[in-house]
Amino acid sequence: MSWKRKHLIDVDDWEREDFELLLEQTSNMDSILDRSIKKAPALRGKIVVNIFYEPSTRTRTSFEIAGKLLSADVINWTASGSSAAKGESLRDTIWTLEAMGADAVVIRHGEVGVPYYLVEKLKKASVINGGDGTHAHPTQALLDLYTAWRELGSLDGKKVAIVGDILHSRVARSDIYAFKAVGAEVYLSGPSTLMPTDINSLNATYEPNIAEAIEGADIIYMLRIQRERQDAGLFPSLDEYHRRYGLTDRLIGKAKKGALVMHPGPINRGVEIASSVADGPQSFILKQVRAGVAVRMALLYLMLGGVKE
Amino acid sequence: MIKKVIMTEEEMDRTLSRIAYEVAEHLKGFNDVVIVGVQRRGVSLAKRLQKSFRDMDGVEVPMGELDITLYRDDLTLLQDQPLVRSTSVPVNITGKRILLVDDVIFTGRTVRAALDALMDLGRPSLVQLAVLVDRNNRELPIHPDYVGLKISTDKSDVVEVRVKEWDGDDQVILWEDGGEG
Amino acid sequence: MKWLVNGRLFDGELLREGLCDLVIDKGRVAKIAPAGRFVPPEGATRIDLDDRILAPGFIDLHAHLRDPGQEWREDIISGSRAAAAGGFATVVAMPNTDPPVDRSSLVRYVLERGQSAGAARVLPAGSVTKGRRGQELAEMWFMANEGAAIFTDDGLPVSTAHLLRTALLYADDLGMAIMEHPEELSLTKDAQVNDGPCAARSGLKGAPKAAELIAVERGIALAKDTSAHLHLTHLSAEESLEAVRRAKEDGINITCDVTPHHLTLDESLVEKSGYSAAYKVNPPLRSGRDLEALWEGLADGTVDAIATDHAPYHLDEKDLPFQEAASGIASLECAVAVVFDAWFKRGKPFGIERLLQLFTAGPASVLRKSDLGRIEEGSVADITVLDIGRERRVEAKRWESKARITPWEGSVLCGWPVMTMREGKVIWVDGDSGLHAERD
Repeated sequence: MSWKRKHLIDVDDWEREDFELLLEQTSNMDSILDRSIKKAPALRGKIVVNIFYEPSTRTRTSFEIAGKLLSADVINWTASGSSAAKGESLRDTIWTLEAMGADAVVIRHGEVGVPYYLVEKLKKASVINGGDGTHAHPTQALLDLYTAWRELGSLDGKKVAIVGDILHSRVARSDIYAFKAVGAEVYLSGPSTLMPTDINSLNATYEPNIAEAIEGADIIYMLRIQRERQDAGLFPSLDEYHRRYGLTDRLIGKAKKGALVMHPGPINRGVEIASSVADGPQSFILKQVRAGVAVRMALLYLMLGGVKE
Repeated sequence: MIKKVIMTEEEMDRTLSRIAYEVAEHLKGFNDVVIVGVQRRGVSLAKRLQKSFRDMDGVEVPMGELDITLYRDDLTLLQDQPLVRSTSVPVNITGKRILLVDDVIFTGRTVRAALDALMDLGRPSLVQLAVLVDRNNRELPIHPDYVGLKISTDKSDVVEVRVKEWDGDDQVILWEDGGEG
Repeated sequence: MKWLVNGRLFDGELLREGLCDLVIDKGRVAKIAPAGRFVPPEGATRIDLDDRILAPGFIDLHAHLRDPGQEWREDIISGSRAAAAGGFATVVAMPNTDPPVDRSSLVRYVLERGQSAGAARVLPAGSVTKGRRGQELAEMWFMANEGAAIFTDDGLPVSTAHLLRTALLYADDLGMAIMEHPEELSLTKDAQVNDGPCAARSGLKGAPKAAELIAVERGIALAKDTSAHLHLTHLSAEESLEAVRRAKEDGINITCDVTPHHLTLDESLVEKSGYSAAYKVNPPLRSGRDLEALWEGLADGTVDAIATDHAPYHLDEKDLPFQEAASGIASLECAVAVVFDAWFKRGKPFGIERLLQLFTAGPASVLRKSDLGRIEEGSVADITVLDIGRERRVEAKRWESKARITPWEGSVLCGWPVMTMREGKVIWVDGDSGLHAERD
């Protein structure tokens, strides 16, 4: 099976075999991170531009390291203090970067659908979605999948509980799709004010009682809760949120023994997750970070090499 | 294409034994030796050499596998991006004597890539190359130290090394381009 | 003098048997007779319609011509020409301009500008409130005297129930209707799409159908209370149609229109198109079920008119990522074809007369203009000639309208207008249609 995709906007059009291929390639890239000389020449001479309209040190750095490990030249372009601040349109920015020779563009933007817009405008460069508004964050989903797979092997029939602000979460949307595609059962939990109205179209099971949702889970995935949501009146206080939906040592007991605790980061200690859990033996949060670099290496390698049609 | 079996299972077995003895003789024992097989079939052959060394001397020579995909010099020219295989060398190779094993040496480019990959893993004190077949169409100044069979081929011929682990049987086949496509 | 021959005549109510000839003199229909029955008058220009449909000039109740104040998007001249090229002899211009049309001088401006275009008749709509600010009633009587055809704060609902009630009573004295844009704003703040699967999967804020229904129910209650005529525009939800149906059964004076886009496009297209802003509109594209309910409303008479809600924007305002792009669909020049093509592809769910009424007699009665929307001896010679077999591709770059983005771009549709006449003058003809006629 070979890799034919030129762009990565969302994983919602990936088949099971696409995920399996990616996981396997990631696994083979992973070992580079253990070497003393962490470099391979595969993407020498390629230019990758990180275009981040939303601030994000972790994802951007992850992409940067991934590109550099494969000897690509990685450029960071942030929106503030740049042409965007001077009112340059996204379209003009992207054409300028393509004219400068960018082979791939990693885009993070606060608006839904921006990567599709870029694909329509670009002639040569590949587009990788680093997160578009509330819609999708495909590389996060892939690294989450890889972290779980590396630890548990096949995810067929495994139970994944995703807890928190599903309504505003691009991580949730992409993860739901990815975990389901490899055979896991996905449960969602959180207050109804933080769930989309038409939740059935997400193809996961909504369980408002968190203890039920976590019961027997193999993976507990906690989402970050943002203060702005409280300001918007969607729940009364962070304290109440923590009491009802925070992951504590006691609550973790309901999951399967040794269940993986995951979080996309950055964590709000004491809100969605207790410090003791975040730093505890079941926390895979830092492993996710490492997986992020390996997954992004695999993606950059697959997408930037070869002659694409 | 015209098929010619140039090494049978028995011949392959004897040739590998002979190489094992040559290696043992030249390296004067297996102190600090690490066998590294080049993916894929080089790995199978490396395993057999490892077994031979074990049978000969009772010594367990450490073995690793090396995938050279990321070091190829033709990545931007290929239609499809080749898939990466696993690299796992369980010991630190710095200061060690490496026996690199591959099935066929042809233009020499794969070996060049393997050397680069090895250098990124550490600093060996010595690297020697063992191949089952030397096709003699070199494009780079690279030579094997131990050769099973040396043949002259045209660029358009195909040399197929088959190993039980991957192909179900052991033999080496030369496919000659008959000129009719 | 003009002599139109061999047309299949639709008079506003019925499609006549056989072919007809029609004479137009001094801007009015002078004579109608079965084809070939009489000798043409001296000096009359003969136009052979060759079996095409001869209908009263189509009327669009709802189009945004952006003039005065936003002429980079459209102006009265380009809008009037676009309407004519879309087969409309009359187009009602929405008052949410800059400044809004809330006084007689601006009504006069729109009217005169429209006349100078020499294309479709532009009927100005006046705003309900001064400055469209939703606080005080605007001078409806003055505006009506200058020629305002209907009153609306479109773009927004009338701000309070009290104000809507007062406006209904006041307009009723003038024998006119209030056109209400039904939307409960507190439910739709920042909404970009329908509150359905697309919103769930993208995280875009969804506008629930309840937002439309609440305003529809409010309007119906007030229309009942005042016995005045309320017209609800661009209804998009099955529940809204059901409420209007019941209101009509109860004898309440309610009329409504639906748009070509809500009749043919649903919310799944937003995702399928990769969030193309061509599909961004308010009220948003709804579910397949709502779309079906709209067609039922066309068939059973719940819907009185099809109105385009033509919302032209400059390319730079629409060719943007979805959330940033302006909301609205431009369609004047392809709306008729979009609807006829869909009607045909659905297997003609009701007679063609019903469909033709929705563009003619239906809107005419909403505007209380008995002299439009029909063809009979003595009526104003507004004519639309429709070729239901004609196939053409939608190409916005060739439009008279300044808009260049439309969701039907590139589609080949069947069923196009080929000639439009206003008061006996040919204001548009499709030169490639095989119809031999010339613009006046």
